Parts: sequence; structure tokens; C-alpha cells
Amino acid sequence: MTPAEGMEPVPAPTPFGSPVGPGQGPASLATAIAVDGIWKSYGHVQALRGASLAVAPGEIVALVGDNGAGKSTLLKVMCGAVTQDAGRVSVGADVFPEGTVVDAQLHGIGVVYQDLALAPDLSVLENIYLGHEILLSDWRRLLGILNRKAMAGEADEALRDLGIELPTVELPVNLLSGGQRQAVAIARAVKWGRQVLLLDEPTAALGTRQTGIVRDLVKEVANQGIAVLMISHDIPAVVEVAHRVVVMRQGAVVKEFAAKGVTIAQIVGAMLGETTVQGEGEADRG
Amino acid sequence: MASSSTVTPPQSDKPLHYSRWRRGATPVFVILGVDVFAVLLFGVLSPAHVFLSVQSFKDLALDGSQTVLLGVGVAFLLGAGELDISLGANIILSSVVGGKVMVAMAGSGSGAAIALGGIVCVATGATAGLFISIVVTRLRVNSFIATLATLGIMTGLADVLTGGYDISGIPLALQRNFGIASLFGVIPDPFAVVLAVVIIAGALLRRTRFGLRTLALGSSREAAVRAGVPVRKNLTLLFMLAGSCAGFAGLIDLSRYTTTNLSGHTTDALAAIAGAVIGGTSLFGGRISVWGAALGAMLAVILQDGLVVVGLPSFYQLIAVGVVLIAAVSVRGFTDAEGRSTLRVVSRLQEGLKARKDSKEVVGARG
Repeated sequence: MTPAEGMEPVPAPTPFGSPVGPGQGPASLATAIAVDGIWKSYGHVQALRGASLAVAPGEIVALVGDNGAGKSTLLKVMCGAVTQDAGRVSVGADVFPEGTVVDAQLHGIGVVYQDLALAPDLSVLENIYLGHEILLSDWRRLLGILNRKAMAGEADEALRDLGIELPTVELPVNLLSGGQRQAVAIARAVKWGRQVLLLDEPTAALGTRQTGIVRDLVKEVANQGIAVLMISHDIPAVVEVAHRVVVMRQGAVVKEFAAKGVTIAQIVGAMLGETTVQGEGEADRG
Repeated sequence: MASSSTVTPPQSDKPLHYSRWRRGATPVFVILGVDVFAVLLFGVLSPAHVFLSVQSFKDLALDGSQTVLLGVGVAFLLGAGELDISLGANIILSSVVGGKVMVAMAGSGSGAAIALGGIVCVATGATAGLFISIVVTRLRVNSFIATLATLGIMTGLADVLTGGYDISGIPLALQRNFGIASLFGVIPDPFAVVLAVVIIAGALLRRTRFGLRTLALGSSREAAVRAGVPVRKNLTLLFMLAGSCAGFAGLIDLSRYTTTNLSGHTTDALAAIAGAVIGGTSLFGGRISVWGAALGAMLAVILQDGLVVVGLPSFYQLIAVGVVLIAAVSVRGFTDAEGRSTLRVVSRLQEGLKARKDSKEVVGARG
């Protein structure tokens, strides 16, 4: 495969494995989020061993790897749910050393967890605004009185922006289909994460039709200039939607491919370590 | 969007009013109907239909005020996925501490004594709630176990403070002006206050961020945490709220009888939890009905009073409340198993949704 040949016309991603941080030349300007040399252990288990990667604005990167390769842990470090032992996460020009979920949200990182983290008894509207509620002004603000009208309007708009249509945002989430729930979780993540969208197995629990819905949504999000990183086991589907495929094995990024032109055998080979594993400079990129 | 022109979604300013049905799975008027039926039944069965007299209604309201208060407090806790079974002991401890203050202050005028003692009652209840919340949120003890422990602690503490004897010497003005007084001569004062509390609690649940977050905590604690909801702060407020309800119930004790009731209130928590669950609050969190809890608690009181009036020994009251609780929860279990919706309006909505979905083929499909 020749360099750049299979790439979508997106801003040039930062070469993976190289340090990316504030003020490091033009490459860093085109980086929405970058992790560099992340180490993390859980007791005796070394989940991450110096994992590094970067995602550019508007780029869709698929993170693949066998079970236990460290994909989910890396994603949790990126969204502040897990604090790394070493290494750093930078968003745009900012480094946030030890994030919390709220910190990450303030940096414009939105996450769609594998279990979606939606409250089933609450409505779509309430789920989208939970933790970010709009209150009425004046004295009613002191009492914490909700401005439901404003929230309904904005939530509706957020859903429409992504082309998601629901009969009403007042519907409780437990009445929605799997695809609709996924769509709500994505809309929420995009609403509060203006820069980066992280998705953990977004289509694992979905049927074919609903997987298509989510795939379209992810493309739409990227079209709005948001960097997307998605973990998935569904390699054929991932190759179809992503610009780049990054392979993790044993806690480190071992290989990456431009999505166009790559074969599934190549990806699986890298996942299983059948090719020579080299850290840096192995990417087929100019 | 190819098909968006064929299906017009409802306007956002005219949403399907769905949340009300969902929040209290059993509509409030159903429980109200059961309450009325029970009153009528006992009225017919009671000698000379005495249960249907105005005085009997006033007694019922007065007897119910404490249980309703606890029912509403516990409904909020249940809705957030927590529990407090020590509310009865909290009533006793609050009335003891508040009563001691009133007795000690009695020399400096009954007005000041009552005011300060009343505040101390509520503050004691809230403090007990704060203690429980610390055990639950900091020591990570399950709230059932935590309140099982505080049930013992508070009962013992009340006995230690009083030496096992009920406090006497509470200013009579408290009873005269509040405990047995009536608003417009009809509504007992304590009941009027409790009614106001229920109205405020209803607004708190539906209209405020606190209410929304309470439901979120019970619906999915994990989702609430990841959304950045300050879980500890909310739980602390919830336990203190329920504790304050118990504290005020303690004040009602003092005002009705001008003494404490050390040996009483053993079944108050049962009646309150039963009331909340009968009223449509989910035992597993995520769903609260404030008015349902109030009316459900009244049902427990109607049963208790009604059985006395028709001449059954008081032992049967407990059995009746227990049986009704099991009946209510099991009925709810069946309805939940069938998709949380025996209500026709819900299933109709679901059908509508399905039809929409089918006609649209995909949600969010791009044209």
C-alpha cells in the first residue's frame, strides 16, 4: 500500500508514537486529542505499556485489538475515568495530566460507553441534560428549578443536528430501541464533547440495520469536525467507516493502517502479532 | 431524510405528557379510589357508621400526618435507590431531644421554648440523616444495614437520654395551639403542615434539578456518576430530608400528647415504606410518586384505624399492613414483568412508536 493513497482528505494525522504536545509544530495543530506513552497497571496486570496515538479533527480512527489488548483502558484514560500511571493526554494545545470525567468534559471530550450509561427511567431530554441542567433565571435559580422548555428545545436541536428523529424528547429511554438509545448516547456525548468523541463498542449490541444508523451518525459527527475514536470488534464495519485503523496488542499500539486498501487479514495479523511487531515508524503513511 | 416529510413529529412545545404516567406507574387517582373505598367499607362496617363522621376524618388526618410525612421522605430515598428503616427510631430520638430542650426552656416562656424545641426536633432528625449519609457514602455501608444499625443506636440513645421514662412537662400551649388545633376548625394543624410539605415535595421532584438527580441516582447510579452528578452531596441531602421529616413527626408527637412515646413508632417505617411502594414508588429506584406515597401511607393508616373501629384487636393492624404491602409489591412485580406498563395509555404509545419506526425504516437515516 502506498502512503496517503487510501487516505480520506482529512487533515494530516500526527504520526503515531511520536510525542505530541503543545507548541510542537504544525502537526500538533491538526491534533484534536493525543495520548503519549501511557502506562497503567491494575495490581499485577499491566494493562497499558506506553500506548500512544493521536486523532485529528474530523478524523475517524478505529481502535482494534484482541481482548485484553488495553483498548478500553486507553479510552478510559482519555476520558478521565481512569488515571494513568505515566504518560500524558493532550487535547488540542492543552495537557490534562490526571483527568476526571468532568475535566475531560470541560476539555470537550464526549464519551459513549459500551453500556451507554443512560438512566433508563429518565426521558431522553433528562438523560441528555443530566449533570448539565438548565435552570430558570432569577430567584428560581437558587431553588434549582429546571427550565424544561429551554432544555427540550436544545435537546431537540441537538438530535436534529445529527439527523436523529424521535417522536418526543419526553420519552423515557427504556421505551427506545437499541439503535435509538445508542443515538441518544451519541447525541449527548457530542453535545457536551465539542472536540472529541470516544466510542466504546458502539455497535456491539445492535442488529445490522441499527449498526448502519450508528455508522451514519459517526460519519455525521466527524463531518462536523469532531475527532472520533471508536473501539470495535467488528473489523469489516470499522474499515468501512474509519479513516485509520490503529491496532493495539499487549497494552501498546503496534501497528496502524489507512483504512482504504487494508485487508482484514492484515489487521487480524497485527492483532495477533503475526507480523513483526515494531513500535514506531511502521505506519504506512507519508 | 427521505421519509421525514411523511411523518410529522409532535411539536416540542406540545410533548406527549408521558413523564407523569411513568413516574408513578399506578396513577394517583387509583390509590385515591382505593383509599375512598377502604373508608367507605369501614364506614359501613363500623357501629353506627361512626367511621364516616367528621370527627373520625379529623382523627384519621391527625393519625395519618406522621405516616404521610415519613412516606414522602422514604419515597425520595427509595427513588434514589436507598432506604431508611430507622425513621421510627428517629421520631423518638428527635422528640426526646426536642422535648428536653422545651422542658429546660419552659422557665423562659413557653413561646420561646416551643420554637426552639421545635427547631431542635427537626434539626435532630436532620442530623440523624446526616449521620446515616456519612455511613452510607463514606463508609460505603449499604443503607439497609446502615439504618438497621441506626435503628438500634437511636432507640438506645433515646432510652439513655431519658432513663427509659417518657418526658413530661412539655408546654401545654404546644398542644393547644398546634397539636389539637384545626385550620378553619376542620383540618388539623399538623395535617395542614404535612399537606404543605407534600405539595412542596411534589414540586421538588418534578420541577427541580434535585428531583431529577434523585431519580437518576436510583435509575442508574453509574450513569449519574458518569454524568458528573455529585452523588455524595445528593445522597446526603436525601437522607437529611427524610430525617427532617422524622424530626417533624417527632414534634407532632410532642404536640399531640405533650409527652414522648418511647415505646411507640416501631412500625412507622413499615407503614411509610409500604405507603410509598403502594403509591407507585419503585423499590429499585428511578420512579417516585409523591402524592402516591402520601395516599399510600393514608391507606396504611385507614387500615389501622378502621380495624380498630370495627372492633378487631390492634394486633391485626400489623398483619393487614404487611399483607397489603406484599399484595401491592407483587401486583407491581407482575406489571413490571410485562414491560412496566399495564396502563393502556403506555402500550398505546408504544404501539404508536413502533408504527412510526416501521414507517420510517430508520431513525437518523440520511437521505
